[in-house]
Amino acid sequence: MSKTMSKSHNVSEAESCIHGAANRSSRRSERRRADVEDPFGRALEYFSQVKAGTPVKGNDALENNLVLVERVALGRGLPPGAVATLLDFALSLRLGSSVCSRVLKFLIPASAVPQDSVVRGVSWFCMGKMPVSAQILFLRWILTMFDLIDSKDQLRSIYGFIFSFVTDEVLSPYVCHLLYLLTTKEHVQPFRVRKLLEVQAKMGRQPPLTQLLALYKVLCPEMIAISMPSKTRGGFKNHNLPWKTALAAVLKKNKTAEAPSPPLSLDIKEKASTRKRKLHHLEVPQLSCGPEIESSRGKAVHLQQLRSFAQLLQNLDNIELPAQMGSLLSSSLALHYLDCVHDESALLRLNFWLGSVLHEEFLFCSRDGNPENSTEPSQFLDICLSLPQECFSSSEFFLFKFLAMWDGSLHQPQILSLLSDIPPLPVSRMKMFLFEPLQQLYFTSSVFFKCGVIECLRSMLWKWLTWHFVQTSHKELDVSLSSSRTMNLHMSEFLELVTELVQYVGRLASAGLQLENYHILLHHQTLNFYELVCDVYLKFNLPLFLLPPSGVIFPSLLATDPVTVDRLGYVIFRYRQNLMSAKEHKQQKKEPSFHISRDVFREFNLLMVAVVSCLWISKDCQVDVGTDVHKALVPLRTMLSYCKNYNLIHHPAFLNYAIEFHQKCWPEQTNVDLSSIQGKKYWYWYLEFLFSQGFDGLKDFIQNNMDHQSTPVGGH
Amino acid sequence: MSTLKPFSKIPELNSANVLLVENEEQFQKKLADVIVNAEKDVSVGVRLARRLPLPVENEETRPCIDLVVFIINLSFERSFQSVELSLKYVDPGFFLGKVCFLVTGARCWSVSSDRLQSVRKLATSLRCPLLYAEDQTVEGVNTAAARLLRVLKVTAGLTPWATGLSLSTLTRCTLSSDLEGDFD
Repeated sequence: MSKTMSKSHNVSEAESCIHGAANRSSRRSERRRADVEDPFGRALEYFSQVKAGTPVKGNDALENNLVLVERVALGRGLPPGAVATLLDFALSLRLGSSVCSRVLKFLIPASAVPQDSVVRGVSWFCMGKMPVSAQILFLRWILTMFDLIDSKDQLRSIYGFIFSFVTDEVLSPYVCHLLYLLTTKEHVQPFRVRKLLEVQAKMGRQPPLTQLLALYKVLCPEMIAISMPSKTRGGFKNHNLPWKTALAAVLKKNKTAEAPSPPLSLDIKEKASTRKRKLHHLEVPQLSCGPEIESSRGKAVHLQQLRSFAQLLQNLDNIELPAQMGSLLSSSLALHYLDCVHDESALLRLNFWLGSVLHEEFLFCSRDGNPENSTEPSQFLDICLSLPQECFSSSEFFLFKFLAMWDGSLHQPQILSLLSDIPPLPVSRMKMFLFEPLQQLYFTSSVFFKCGVIECLRSMLWKWLTWHFVQTSHKELDVSLSSSRTMNLHMSEFLELVTELVQYVGRLASAGLQLENYHILLHHQTLNFYELVCDVYLKFNLPLFLLPPSGVIFPSLLATDPVTVDRLGYVIFRYRQNLMSAKEHKQQKKEPSFHISRDVFREFNLLMVAVVSCLWISKDCQVDVGTDVHKALVPLRTMLSYCKNYNLIHHPAFLNYAIEFHQKCWPEQTNVDLSSIQGKKYWYWYLEFLFSQGFDGLKDFIQNNMDHQSTPVGGH
Repeated sequence: MSTLKPFSKIPELNSANVLLVENEEQFQKKLADVIVNAEKDVSVGVRLARRLPLPVENEETRPCIDLVVFIINLSFERSFQSVELSLKYVDPGFFLGKVCFLVTGARCWSVSSDRLQSVRKLATSLRCPLLYAEDQTVEGVNTAAARLLRVLKVTAGLTPWATGLSLSTLTRCTLSSDLEGDFD
């Protein structure tokens, strides 16, 4: 707390020493101004020398100087020296608290805030003379400017002083936030933990306090025994409102004044230049930093300063994260860095930030907001989607809340993709928060939405299976990809969940197909899902055999579109391969844990019989739909006569192929008699003809299930 | 003062009629325009009312109502109360798949979650679907209209293989426990 920079004539020197080469142009202009007896310099001199007790009312000199400095501050920002002078002037309360808050409100730094001045400000703060409103304003100012403070080591060394204010009920939220930004592992001490718990007991679970504790727990888990709610609603509020627009304008101006250096990070989002919304702060903060950092633990480096990958590798251990975690979202480099260093506290902070922003923006919209401007929120959701960390618990929490009041079209693509990122959770929770609301939306929405939902659930299942596969097959590897989405499910729970999901999709698909009059798109989406499900054993080593319900199989079997029948053939073929290899495996290994229910085989055989008798045998068709339909309800006699029309020749999906084949075989015959194909020789030619048309699924199905010598019964 | 009955009138061929009940009369007009213009295949009639019971004067000319939609604007306390009062004038037969609730303003920050919860409770106790709509955007209105039309066509018997009761069973509102408390 030694150095002060209050003399106005050495402003430019002080600036250059802190500032280095970063802002040479402004330094040059500073010097030029000093040469011409600049009024700004004189104003600063006035503020540094003004005596306590000088009258405020009717003091023209003060008023003029204030107006002058304010204009400069809002125009192009204040140089570091001036910030120091003004901060000292304001917080010393030499001219009362109203002047203090007025100065604080326009204290916009052009580039950096010298740490010394902040430390000095904190010492004024600790003297206890400031009124509470000024104290709050000062804390909010620090929080807003935190990234611009040139280094934080001295601030960290007075951590204890700041911590002592945690007991103050009014200041506590701001103090907690500041501490949250400053805390490192060394700061977490038993006596501090005790204090925080005490405060929590007194004031209740306030979000800022809880989050500070959560950070402590992440840094030193052994010290905090109490369980933390993993999802805290709302995070730290953004305290930057009084300065936000002015600061953004100044930073932008200064940025364009400098020659822009090409950033290493891939910017996902260009900043919107015009912003009309007031309440919302959805924008991803820019990565900003003080110009240079010297810290006691060696040189810390801001992400923004890195220019090459080699530089990143060199400084991997010294990278200092910005105060606004949200700013990391705009840089994919930063996100990958986070992923690779496994920084729990950073992930936690990012999680909180994301949670509060999502919550404020999407669940607490103001009625009078500009509703037409919906590109920005969806851009933001796009950014959330592109996170390599996949699903933060806060975004999952947000999704469940949002889903409960979703109309099904707002940001539909983004929401559906985010939904597919949801990690496996216990079945009861999944049912309540995902399946139920989604089902209500599904059945009242258009067929395209239905397809979207099925696709989303397919991709969700695929992610779960992949995750499970990696986890089980590489036990020696540490595959806790990111701790924020650790799957705490036992194997049995996981199996139960997958079963539930597949059955859920089965219900959605069969009822949806019926409602949509067997829409072909929905058909294919459903079969797409089952193409994943049928291969679960062979591809993901999960002993789970879940057949599609009759409501999916039979409409596909009797579809008028040949590709649907072909895909069904492929699905059944893959089921067969999976069951066969599971059976072999069981006989070889004789593992007691490995158990396939007899019902699965029985069900599959019934399915096979039904499909084969329909496509192949045609006469002895015994469509046994299983136990789903009561025998008395199905007029078997009448059905038998229709069944004949669904063999590969008369099937509506293949009818045109049969006719084409017939014309090729008997070109001179004008009277098309399709039953003549059923002769042994022609039947196989016909099959070859069908296979040559690209029906590979059907080919696999027939070649693996049929004895090649058998002919369809009911031929000539 | 009479209750609204589902089968008191003979339905007409290829037509469907929906009754939109909204106390504030803000959203129903927009919705009605879109619904009428969106459907080309069958003739869709939209009747608007602030509350039930419907006046006796028009009893004769009123067609057979296939679906009653109660629109609840969560921004107004009165909206929910008015719907609660109107429900008394709906024949129990309607609740077998011919009533649904449409909620607007659920994402509004000024709305307390208690109000939403009480609407959910109401819909759950009556076993009716509860739809959410974005009434501020054109796209939101279109989506809401399309969804209502979909339900209407089912309840009017214009969708093969489906009845209002079956759809309502699939989509009826379920009361989930509060997310906040349960999620940790």
